[in-house]
Amino acid sequence: MSTRRSVFKDETKLDINYIPYKLPHREAELRLLMEFFSFALQSPEKMAQRVVITGDVGTGKTALSQRFGANITNEANKRGTSLRYIHVNCREYHGSLFLILQHAISIFHPNFPKRGYSAEESLNAFVQILDEQNLHVILALDEFESLIEREGSEAVYKLTRLQEARQNKPQRLSLISILRNLTAIHRLDASTRSTLQSNIINLGKYSKQQLADILNDRASTAFKPLAVPEDTVGLIAELAFSESGNARFGIELLWRAGKYADSADLDTVPPECVRKAVSSIIPAMRKSDLADLGFHERLFLLGIARTLKKNEKAYVTFTEAERSYAVVCEELNTTPKSHTQLWKYLRNFSALGIVEAAVVTGGSRGRSTGIYLPRIPAEELEKELKTLLEKQEM
Amino acid sequence: MRRMDIEDVFSSRLRMKILRILVRVGELNGSEIARRLSVNYVTTSKHLKTLEDEGILVHKVFGRICLYRLNERSPKAKAVQTLVETWEQANKQ
Repeated sequence: MSTRRSVFKDETKLDINYIPYKLPHREAELRLLMEFFSFALQSPEKMAQRVVITGDVGTGKTALSQRFGANITNEANKRGTSLRYIHVNCREYHGSLFLILQHAISIFHPNFPKRGYSAEESLNAFVQILDEQNLHVILALDEFESLIEREGSEAVYKLTRLQEARQNKPQRLSLISILRNLTAIHRLDASTRSTLQSNIINLGKYSKQQLADILNDRASTAFKPLAVPEDTVGLIAELAFSESGNARFGIELLWRAGKYADSADLDTVPPECVRKAVSSIIPAMRKSDLADLGFHERLFLLGIARTLKKNEKAYVTFTEAERSYAVVCEELNTTPKSHTQLWKYLRNFSALGIVEAAVVTGGSRGRSTGIYLPRIPAEELEKELKTLLEKQEM
Repeated sequence: MRRMDIEDVFSSRLRMKILRILVRVGELNGSEIARRLSVNYVTTSKHLKTLEDEGILVHKVFGRICLYRLNERSPKAKAVQTLVETWEQANKQ
């Protein structure tokens, strides 16, 4: 058997879920976060902390929080302190407080029932578990906007004012809220807002040089020595900078360029591979946006893409999309979601910038909703979704 | 309280099934156990109580939720666990 050569040493170091040990140009923020939570290493039961991390896509919010979580957990283990860091992406749980708490509870009780009680009851159950285990939890709520959008002030209020109902009892829950900017928080009522906004860490856009440093750091762990020339890193940094300083985009591009180099059986990753990789990436839409979609969201989007490909119109009506989705579901032998649920999916696609929805008039049926794909050819979207669905099946 | 004899505890098909389920999954609430047994909640509760009275099971209450599991402090529960695991292992061979 012949072994194919590869430019990679360990490509998992470029995976979206990988938490790097070093966070170039975020060292100060990491230290500040540790400072905010230093009490948790000494006497976690005496206080609770709330921190807000803001920053655009790809500015390192998630990586910062998760690296902090890993560091503080290690330190707590060394000292024998009962502390745990739990990271939850709110969008993955459709912004539902109930589902978010259920996920947190399932870490301790994997078979905790999934229905039959309220969000408030699940919060009480969660605190009871923490009391029983004498544990302080730092709960990081990533994509916090999604929780605010779905639940409004009340859910956030419940989380932040937990201790008021349990006076003189140990503090059990600290929060890190991670979101793009403070706009969503401004929608909360004044009293809830005041409980969140005391400690804000804002991550600014990376400069070109900072992006190059990050890419060099990742390249040194993911690629074989000298496999990624300086020119290649420079070009990717330039492209990532033009994508609003998005480091995640740059890292994804680095990985793709490596794949092109491997497929051409090269020893290094020349800038030409980056150019090929760029043209293969869906313009103005990140693979990660699609990867974050739920199973039925992907199916619905696939239905939209297929219809647009077939009828060659600029838009597809909601009814047509729904029909096409039903066919996709039938092919995959899965029960279609309800009409109302599909409307929710469509709203999410619009928010992510994947589709645009607008009222269209004409024909014998009067007004209807037209769904457009403004930034991506239907064929490419279909291909990308099929790949994701195949991966999911494996 | 008078303890039951082993044949009385093990003579019930449903009680054996409850024990098998809990050995396999660790802990579960009453409704879910009833669903897995395909019997009603009242019947399930009766058997759960019997097993709890024998010290084989314990439960923990979280508001309206009640989770049952084998009593890790009970030698009877340990014996049940070994019995079920050994039995299932042997059946696989």
